[in-house]
Amino acid sequence: MRLPFFSFVVIPFLMTGSALGQPDGRKIYVTHCASCHGDKGQGNEEEYDEPLWGRKSVESLSRYIHRSMPEEKEDTVIDEDAHAVARYIHEEFYSPAAQLRNRPPRIELLRLTNEQYRQSAADLIESFKRPQTIIPERGLRGRYFNVEKMNKEKEHVLERIDPVINFDWGSGVPAEKINQNGFSVRWSGSLLAPETGLYQFRVRTHNSALFLLNSFRGDDDKNSFIDAYVSTRNESHEKSGSKFLLAGRGYPVFLRYFTYKEKVASLHLEWKPPGGIWEAIPNDYLMPEVLDTVTVVGTKFPPDDRSLGYERGSGVSKEWQQATTYAAVELVNHLITYLGTVSGLSKEQRKDPAALRSYAHQFASRAFRRPLNAEQQETFVDRRFNNQPDPMVALRHSMLLVLTSPHFLYPKLAENNGPPDDYTVASRLALILWDGLPDKELLHAAGTGKLNQPEQISTQIQRMLHNSKTRRKMKGFFNRWLALDEQHDLGKDPSLFPGFNERLVADLRRSLERFVDEVAWSPRSDYRELLLDQHLYLNERLARFYEAEPLQGDTLQRVTLPGRSNSGILTHPFLLAAHAYHDNTSPIHRGVFISRKVLGRLLKPPVEAVTFKDEEFDPSLTMREKVTKLTKATSCMECHKIINPVGFSLENFDAVGRHRVSDNEKPVNTKSRYIDEDETAFQIGNIRELAELAAGSKPAHEKFITTLFHHFTKQSINAYGLDTTASLHAKFIKSGYNIRSLLVELTTLAVSHETEDKPLALK
Amino acid sequence: MTIPRSRRTFLRDLGLSGASLPFVAGLPSLQAAQNQNPRQRLIVVFSPNGTLPTQFWQDSPGPLKELKAILQPLAPFKDRMLMLKGLNNKIRGDGDGHQRGMSCLLTGIELLPGNIQGGSDSPAGWASGISIDQEIRNFLQKNPATRTRFGSLEFGVAVPARADNWTRMVYAGSNKPVAPVDDPYQMLNRLYGQSKDRATLAGLLDDVREDLTKVSSRISSEDQKRLKEHLELVRSMESELKRTGDESALVHPEPELDPNIELVNDNTPEISRMQIDLLVNSLANDMCRVASLQYMRSVGQARMRWLDVEEGHHHLSHEPDKNKNAQEKLLRINQWFAAEIAYLASKLDSLPEPGAEGSMLDHTTIMWTNELGKGNSHSQNDIPFLLLGGGSKFKMGQSHDFDGQPHNRLLLSLAHSFGHEIQHFGNKTQSKDGPLQLT
Repeated sequence: MRLPFFSFVVIPFLMTGSALGQPDGRKIYVTHCASCHGDKGQGNEEEYDEPLWGRKSVESLSRYIHRSMPEEKEDTVIDEDAHAVARYIHEEFYSPAAQLRNRPPRIELLRLTNEQYRQSAADLIESFKRPQTIIPERGLRGRYFNVEKMNKEKEHVLERIDPVINFDWGSGVPAEKINQNGFSVRWSGSLLAPETGLYQFRVRTHNSALFLLNSFRGDDDKNSFIDAYVSTRNESHEKSGSKFLLAGRGYPVFLRYFTYKEKVASLHLEWKPPGGIWEAIPNDYLMPEVLDTVTVVGTKFPPDDRSLGYERGSGVSKEWQQATTYAAVELVNHLITYLGTVSGLSKEQRKDPAALRSYAHQFASRAFRRPLNAEQQETFVDRRFNNQPDPMVALRHSMLLVLTSPHFLYPKLAENNGPPDDYTVASRLALILWDGLPDKELLHAAGTGKLNQPEQISTQIQRMLHNSKTRRKMKGFFNRWLALDEQHDLGKDPSLFPGFNERLVADLRRSLERFVDEVAWSPRSDYRELLLDQHLYLNERLARFYEAEPLQGDTLQRVTLPGRSNSGILTHPFLLAAHAYHDNTSPIHRGVFISRKVLGRLLKPPVEAVTFKDEEFDPSLTMREKVTKLTKATSCMECHKIINPVGFSLENFDAVGRHRVSDNEKPVNTKSRYIDEDETAFQIGNIRELAELAAGSKPAHEKFITTLFHHFTKQSINAYGLDTTASLHAKFIKSGYNIRSLLVELTTLAVSHETEDKPLALK
Repeated sequence: MTIPRSRRTFLRDLGLSGASLPFVAGLPSLQAAQNQNPRQRLIVVFSPNGTLPTQFWQDSPGPLKELKAILQPLAPFKDRMLMLKGLNNKIRGDGDGHQRGMSCLLTGIELLPGNIQGGSDSPAGWASGISIDQEIRNFLQKNPATRTRFGSLEFGVAVPARADNWTRMVYAGSNKPVAPVDDPYQMLNRLYGQSKDRATLAGLLDDVREDLTKVSSRISSEDQKRLKEHLELVRSMESELKRTGDESALVHPEPELDPNIELVNDNTPEISRMQIDLLVNSLANDMCRVASLQYMRSVGQARMRWLDVEEGHHHLSHEPDKNKNAQEKLLRINQWFAAEIAYLASKLDSLPEPGAEGSMLDHTTIMWTNELGKGNSHSQNDIPFLLLGGGSKFKMGQSHDFDGQPHNRLLLSLAHSFGHEIQHFGNKTQSKDGPLQLT
């Protein structure tokens, strides 16, 4: 618009914005938007209480405002005005960059999460004995004897490794030369726990059996964990017990069995792992070597804060403070009772005050992740032993103080300010990769000043990467990312899906866990395979249900299913069944899950929550048709234009993840129009095409990277610098989307990061 | 007549002085309060391998005359003693004499067939019914007036850690043996563990707070806030612990155990005294009304070196009567058991019964019993049953000879003495004639 010739005097006046010049976004916002959205977009309790933020581009926001805002007065802000106000809010507070600028994340002082507490306590005790080495062999080692009289071993007949303890010998014998009239067996080895939680165990036999698990009195039969020694009338009897176990560790097992003058012989060693079902303990979790005991803190803790989507120790509550205090009491009582077994101190040393004092000192410095300074030595060791005539009591007090001290509970306190020193590096490495304490090698490297150069750090990371503890934490990552341990009710209508029982679901979950584990630890460790691989891990039961070529036995094997288009986790039956109704598919649930977790799309909670009620629809419609109808309103479509295409592309898999070609007697239509984050539309024919899109998509990569980062470090990725995500992304692509490399990169970054906190003056 | 302690204290609490006592004493409500539900207790004490009949039993029934040699340590309690000869363990069926002697003793019922093979007879499993102490325990727990924290406590001395029908006499039901705790530290922890931990904590939390405060001063202000919250929680835990510690209404302080006694055979005398102290303490603090104290197990093979006996008990018990040396040793052994019971009785007798007349012993029935009548013959006739104390309304200071009655009838008598009027107990045939006439 041309200005009149005298207007240069009035230009400043006009420049402030009027209908004549460019619209003033801020003014428009203040006039038309702030009353509902708050002056800084923070929201208004009475009107719209959600803060205004998101990932739309300025253009997309502008279009939205033009169409739909302000509510009920949509014509008020349109065209250039909509564009101006969109630009304003995007810059001020809406965009992710603006959010970070307004509230820059920092590396917080976090306490140990519950898992970290338990693993650290176990590490601390383990550090005084030999560390656990998980070997590849599986099964339990059994020594078979013929007996005379009652359970007096007379003749050692044979020794062998039994894959599982699941025997119904009837009136037969386990092997040649064994005497049916009387024989006994001693099994030894270790039990490998896949998850942290409460496990139930059961011994079922017609005869006599004793089961010792993680016994602190060695293989001494007395006080066994499960005592099924006395049988009645040669009838099958069972005894059970439960134990809290920590993931990723092995627990010594001794199983004693005997039968004498009994017609029928049998023995079953069974378990029900957390979230699992009763079954004979599978071969995968039995190892024929006896490991040292694990000190498990089984105290119940209140759940950790998950508000940011991952577990972090960001709050202290009364329950938590009490739980950790009583856990410390329980732990110290246990340590004192079994001091001989767990400490490695001899009987004489346990009576020697100097030896006990030295043990207390080591205990404290390992718990605090660095050698004690003079003040700590005085508080935690000297003051206890100097004031207490009984050194055992002094030790007890010292250990209690150590375990309730912030130096143990807040790992960040073990770190120095500024460039991280060797011990800081050690502490960070152990916490990030293992959720635990530095082991002997790390402490030695730190103590000899060999943990501050990049090559030294890199060597340690490589060593630690291949330890089973990292594998355990990676398993936890997949559990978290794919929400495997959230209580999915996978129960389906048995009349529609006969055979889809608990047993099958347990197998399916193991199949998925196996798949992701194999991808992560394969040579290429290629992220894209998670989305594109065409195989499924099946066993006999699963092969039969999913109509694959017949397989034998319980062990999972990697197979392809011709006629079924597989695409990694996106088509794994466990996830398809988990995100479905009990009698039909649910494109919305599947769409939301994949959009958020895999595609990395931002989906806010729905404006209006509407329940899907099947009976409200015309019964002749397909699920796709019903969902389309349900979500067609404009306000719904904001998100459902992302969700629905994803869900529809999976409609050729029924509610239990089996392939189907029709729904309600109409052919299934998997074609859809996927809209990406830049609002570009893609025609998708089926899930495979969507997967290929995802495998190359920036939001999908970033979602994976940030989820992995958060799970391992428990700190916000942006606290390490606003360009951290981009930088890791570039490296990720360059490495060929290598998951292990990504883990190494993020660990290196987090470990080498300089804390910027200004230290306060020492009082 | 001495004014009962309870009435005196009751009146004192009311604010009435001694001067007004005669006037007040006649009030009916005061009398009633005194006699209402005085506590009644049962302690079963077990020792193995039978007794020496000639050194134990009276020569004839009637009021107790001079006690025989084994019972000398119990002489001070003669007028509160009741001896019951002629009671036989008539339970047959699976199991050998020792197995049945042990597991049918308090249950009065057959063993289940099973896989534990004894020296002879058929193999057996657990007892097929509840034991009388548990039966009485359950009866008392049902009534809020007689309910206690534990109901019953099972103590042991030198009990081998194998669970089988030689080591278990207490049963919560068929096939449900209850294990005695023979480690005084374990028992102490069970009774007082929590309060001990709390006391330790209360003492240390001060140091935790000091530590937290020091750390707090060295970190950034944003992080300080978090530690401040933590500090507050520690402070409130500390004051909570200190508060509940003061209110603990224990009549008798928690006993202190010498921390250096190890659980080896030679320390059995010390362990026995520690267990008895704990037992008395738990009764004084009304943690239970029923208890058992099991010495070793049936077929117990303890070498009682503290009595200068080198041979195993079971071995000695199988020596023929004419082996004077063995007999003399068995006498010393059984006198030792008697002396332990005397210690138990005298401790109970030294404590006044809260809320009633007399001592705690006057309201407690101790029953000493055995798996066998006589060791070398494995006889299950004339099982040595000896009752001590009061509260049962039985006529004490007597000796009876029931001439071969089934011992189930005694078990019934015990139940009835607590007001639990069951018609039979254990094997129905053996108990069909009802409780023995003991009052």
